Amino acid sequence: MTARARYIVGVDVGGTFTDLIAFDEAEGRLLSAKVPSLPGEQWRGVLDALTELGIAFDAIRAFVHGTTIATNALLERQGAKTALVTTKGFRDVLEIGKGRRLVGGLFDTTWQRPAPLVPRDRRHEVGERIDADGTVLATATESEIEALAGTLRRQGVEAVAVAFVHSYRNPENELAVAAALRQRLNAVPVTESAVLIPERGEFERSSTVVLNAYLTPVMTKYLGTLSSELSGRGIRAPVNIMGSNGGAMTLEAARQRCVGTFLSGPVGGVGGAVRAAEAADLGDLITFDMGGTSTDVALVHGRAPRMSHDNQVDAYPLQMPQLDIHTIGAGGGSIVWIGPDRTLEIGPQSAGASPGPACYGRGGDRPTISDANLLLGRLPTDRPLAGGLVLDVAAAEAAFRALGTALGTDDPVALADGALAVAVAKMAGAVREVSVHRGFDPRDFALVGFGGAGPMHGFMVAEELGMTRVLIPRFPGHLSALGQMMADLRRDFVKAWGGRLGTLSPGALKREAEALRRQGVGLLLDDGIARERQRHAFTIDMRYAGQSYTLGIPWNFDDPDFGPLRRAFDDLHAATFGFADRANEAEMVNIRLVSIGDVDKPVLDFASPAAGDPNAGGRSVWFGRWLDTAIFDRARMPAGFAFSGPAIVEEAGGTSVVPPGWSVTVDASGALVCGFDDGTR
Amino acid sequence: MNEVGRLELIRESLVAVVNEMRANIIRGSYSSIIYEGHDFSCALVTSDGRLVAQGLADNPIHIFAVPYSAAEVVKTFGDDIHEGDIFLHNDPYTGGTHLNDILMLYPVFYQGRLALFTAARCHWGDVGGMTPGSLSGRVTDIYQEGMRIEPTRIAERGRMNEPFLGLLLDNMRIRHERRGDFNTMHGTSLKAAEHIQRLFRRFGGSAFLDAVEELILRSETLMRQRIGAIPDGTYHAEAYLDSNGHSPEPLAGRLKLTVDGDRLIADFTGSSPQTGGPTNVGPAMALNAVASVVKSYLDPQTPVNHGSFNPITIVNPRGSFLNATLPVPCGGMAECRAIMVAMMVSALGQALPQKLVGDLKGGANHVYVSGPHPSSTDDKAGIFLLYEYPAGGTGATIGADGNHVVRAFPEGDFNVVQPAEVVEMQCPVRIEHYGIRENSCGDGEFRGGCGMRRDIRVLVDGASLSVLADHAVIPPFGVAGGYSGAANRFVVLRGGEVLQPSPVPGKVGGFMLRKDDIVRMESSGGGGYGDPLKRDPERVARDVFLGYLSGERAEQRYGVALAADGSVDAGATDGLRRRVRAARLMVRVAAASADDFDGPRRRIGLSPAVAARLGVGEDDLVELATPSGAAALRGWVRMAPGTDGEALRLGPLGIAALGSAAGDRIEVRAVGAIA
Repeated sequence: MTARARYIVGVDVGGTFTDLIAFDEAEGRLLSAKVPSLPGEQWRGVLDALTELGIAFDAIRAFVHGTTIATNALLERQGAKTALVTTKGFRDVLEIGKGRRLVGGLFDTTWQRPAPLVPRDRRHEVGERIDADGTVLATATESEIEALAGTLRRQGVEAVAVAFVHSYRNPENELAVAAALRQRLNAVPVTESAVLIPERGEFERSSTVVLNAYLTPVMTKYLGTLSSELSGRGIRAPVNIMGSNGGAMTLEAARQRCVGTFLSGPVGGVGGAVRAAEAADLGDLITFDMGGTSTDVALVHGRAPRMSHDNQVDAYPLQMPQLDIHTIGAGGGSIVWIGPDRTLEIGPQSAGASPGPACYGRGGDRPTISDANLLLGRLPTDRPLAGGLVLDVAAAEAAFRALGTALGTDDPVALADGALAVAVAKMAGAVREVSVHRGFDPRDFALVGFGGAGPMHGFMVAEELGMTRVLIPRFPGHLSALGQMMADLRRDFVKAWGGRLGTLSPGALKREAEALRRQGVGLLLDDGIARERQRHAFTIDMRYAGQSYTLGIPWNFDDPDFGPLRRAFDDLHAATFGFADRANEAEMVNIRLVSIGDVDKPVLDFASPAAGDPNAGGRSVWFGRWLDTAIFDRARMPAGFAFSGPAIVEEAGGTSVVPPGWSVTVDASGALVCGFDDGTR
Repeated sequence: MNEVGRLELIRESLVAVVNEMRANIIRGSYSSIIYEGHDFSCALVTSDGRLVAQGLADNPIHIFAVPYSAAEVVKTFGDDIHEGDIFLHNDPYTGGTHLNDILMLYPVFYQGRLALFTAARCHWGDVGGMTPGSLSGRVTDIYQEGMRIEPTRIAERGRMNEPFLGLLLDNMRIRHERRGDFNTMHGTSLKAAEHIQRLFRRFGGSAFLDAVEELILRSETLMRQRIGAIPDGTYHAEAYLDSNGHSPEPLAGRLKLTVDGDRLIADFTGSSPQTGGPTNVGPAMALNAVASVVKSYLDPQTPVNHGSFNPITIVNPRGSFLNATLPVPCGGMAECRAIMVAMMVSALGQALPQKLVGDLKGGANHVYVSGPHPSSTDDKAGIFLLYEYPAGGTGATIGADGNHVVRAFPEGDFNVVQPAEVVEMQCPVRIEHYGIRENSCGDGEFRGGCGMRRDIRVLVDGASLSVLADHAVIPPFGVAGGYSGAANRFVVLRGGEVLQPSPVPGKVGGFMLRKDDIVRMESSGGGGYGDPLKRDPERVARDVFLGYLSGERAEQRYGVALAADGSVDAGATDGLRRRVRAARLMVRVAAASADDFDGPRRRIGLSPAVAARLGVGEDDLVELATPSGAAALRGWVRMAPGTDGEALRLGPLGIAALGSAAGDRIEVRAVGAIA
């Protein structure tokens, strides 16, 4: 690293805007730029934003990219013309799955199943079969493969997925057919299901490999263009892509496993929240990332974000390890409306950037959560927001009054307060989903609020759930990008292996685990991570004999026997489901390995606060009644500064609304560390 | 707390409790039908048994029957209900569904007074009885279907009645799984009650319970508004079940639906008597079926609670197969519900033609393959049990084709088959084919979805097959002139031969299988909507290109001629459509003073000439259809020599059910001519 290479760059390419920030390690400064994204040429937005930032390209030492390429290509159905090769008798599995709707449909006589990504004419069967033990019963013949290759060429196929029944037990038929097709189809990418994700369940595995094949050409093209354009401008720093598992991926890994990037955006925020919480010495937290149209929440236990392995993207199952991030369609721009039974509803429709909430004065006439906040005094009316926008109270009021008729009230404050309460209940429901539903009590956790609207609503969500600690990190609007910069490289591995504990030996488990770890070490070495900077951790998926769903139990490779594992499983089962079947036999189902490669991270030492008085006056704000509320300027708050709610903390890109009962201290990292004590708890 | 938004907060909180219950049951249970199949539902009910909340993934067939069961528990135990009590119930005659669906009710108290019940109804894989899995198409009384539990207190003030529980479980196959399911329901109930107590503390118990009443009232008000907008009148429908599993005699369902201002009266008087086979159902199912269709047609969006049921009155005399009494079996409750749903779809569809939807697969399609498990280390009592319940195609509507092989609108979102990779690990079978059953859709301007075909090779000797399904003889009907979907079909392939495993199609009890037999399940397609000759030829070509439909069928039914490259031959199509139309057998409706019923069967008198043109004879099944009508009207041929071939005499109920009038020209068709 040269002395001049002082910038770490994080970039988020969204559907509308490309956000880029650079952290200047030399001065502890954060630079940011926002430019329009260009459909089909997202790399151009990245370059535009870099140019706008005005930093020397050769002074960039690392570059991390959160990309929505895969997500957008899927939503817009702009993926490649894909074919699927299956076991004889199974070509319709992709279309009909297990007969479930998977997306809504109860009481809806006109419901339509979303079309499969590979239509029936491009789903081809070959005469191969493997049984449940992995024994090969039949293999595809040479002439069959030859004919298939001809058909695929004739169909103009751009990507191929191969998914055979029981390939997770024995991949040899899949590997052989895929290799034969690669040889015959030149540049067409071919993906095997068992290579991508060797887990049981032919529908989920087929769906996952099809998603990957469908998106690979789009991703490959984008990443290829991006890296050549960046190096063309003299950027020598390696480019990493954020993965849904919370770690970064090299460009090559992202090309091969683009289905590992669906959560590329939101995971950055979780990582950023973990770092911010670490600085405040908190290990158990719930991240609350609220933006304009949606809110993402995740649970972090012992500094480790929880993972989820059986996921769904759009209407399609996705068997990929992802952070267990729960997203709901409620954000600052969500529209407030009246349901047919005269109840108040929020979202999922959003006013978006255009026309935006009514108070933006850009023609929006439907009330939103932002309008509610304005009417309750939580947003400034007397001066512009950071972006120069002056909010229009009269427009917000008119929008809410229109709703009042249906509810029999003309009090816009009561309506705004009610709308906010309903929105908060929805968001609390999302928090409950990742905590209570997984066996955790949210009251044992701190809520970390960020994103454009997180600091404004986080305290209310915490109160709703009885949580008494809230953390608002510095630069909450940029936390996702900051989190990306701090992300280590990460690779996930799984091996379907196990049986009843009584029939297994610890030695056999160790042999299997060691083989996985060798893979992890090798791949990280290929990624340029030396052995001493690697960490490898195992989890065992366990259940009671007779159950199907599993719980992931951390396993220490050096345990002499299965005792600690079994006890940990029983305890977690009791905590999660209300009972433990301690007398029953337990089974192992999968061995999972997470391999982490440490990368050089920036030291997020922000510049000292600006000089001057942090007190910025006060105004009347609604907290169930109107209260005189102090306003603070966050940029001027020194470490150790303390105050109590009701209070409002304003800064570029976010407003924290601290209700009565909360006391706040600014810690050394600049974060607001907040505790609730109303005397009753 | 501010009044605005409080109700919604409470409603969100109620749904959160139910969703949490669901998550716990899926993850903790031992019956594959629960954790893979999701054949269970959760709900909250008031202290007098009214439905408060269910989740959107919960199955109305379970949940809409819970209030009846809960009311029965309240009636039985009165004031003798205490904190820590747990109640079990599955008895169909007092509000249960079928015996496999075990309901656990757990009372939740506020300040010493009963406030709510949590309810979890889970389909246990086996509850004892004559055949593994407990459901069979060939039972003759309910004692063959397993353990029957009238409202029973299984735990009193927190103390489990272990001897009783033991007795129950000892009489069920694969005992440890049943115990695991019980534990899961128990743990789930406790967790849910804790959650509700937190809500009481937060909102104040009385305020909370008041809000529950207000939510129910609002649903009722909305539903009354929606019903008030339907034209007043009386609408008739009829539908048939294939058989009771023993004789080929069909069972007739009859419905008179009255729309009177803001209320609905559904009267099932005149339906067939109860029968000594599985196709009966207890008293809870009629409201269940009626409310499911009312909800779907009138208010599919807002969360379900009891208020939606209040405007509905059910008239359903005891002793019919739709309101059965001891000791007739009730395993076929889903089949009975299906024809009540079908009749409601048709009757309410006469009032609201835009809502009409083609008929569905006719029930649950329970299929069991069971036998000795070759692996001796397995502790499942040495047997394997494979239980699947194939989805069919869904019905078409005025603007949309049905979907292939998927749960339909009145059904919860279950998995209907297990992955081959799971099945083959747990059972000595091999899944050789699992796919869309081509040509099974009900044809129409909008076609129904296709059903599925699944071939299961049995790898051991000594296994047996049981099936409980309907619509294996009488297929799902089309609407507004649309055609039937293909009927369900369950056969065994043995050495190249096709064996019928039962003299009564769809009802199989313990048919002995041999090693290498293939059990073939083919589920029905959804009924079509409208005249297939009006279907966009490009859509027909697309269906042929993708293999959902044969070229032959495209010509015969849709009158679409395709060129060698698969594209539409427009000129040939015009001519073909004219010829297909001309070949239809049209008759004129003539009013008869009474309907011609012969036991359960509607008789349709045809002149020998008309019968000959249709290729049908005495007792064959035919249907009458018209684009302006609702469901096609089915009946059995009565040869009527000497009648005017142009005229077809129909009684007042028939004319009403068809949605036609005397003098209308309607089409007569043989049913099942193209399978």
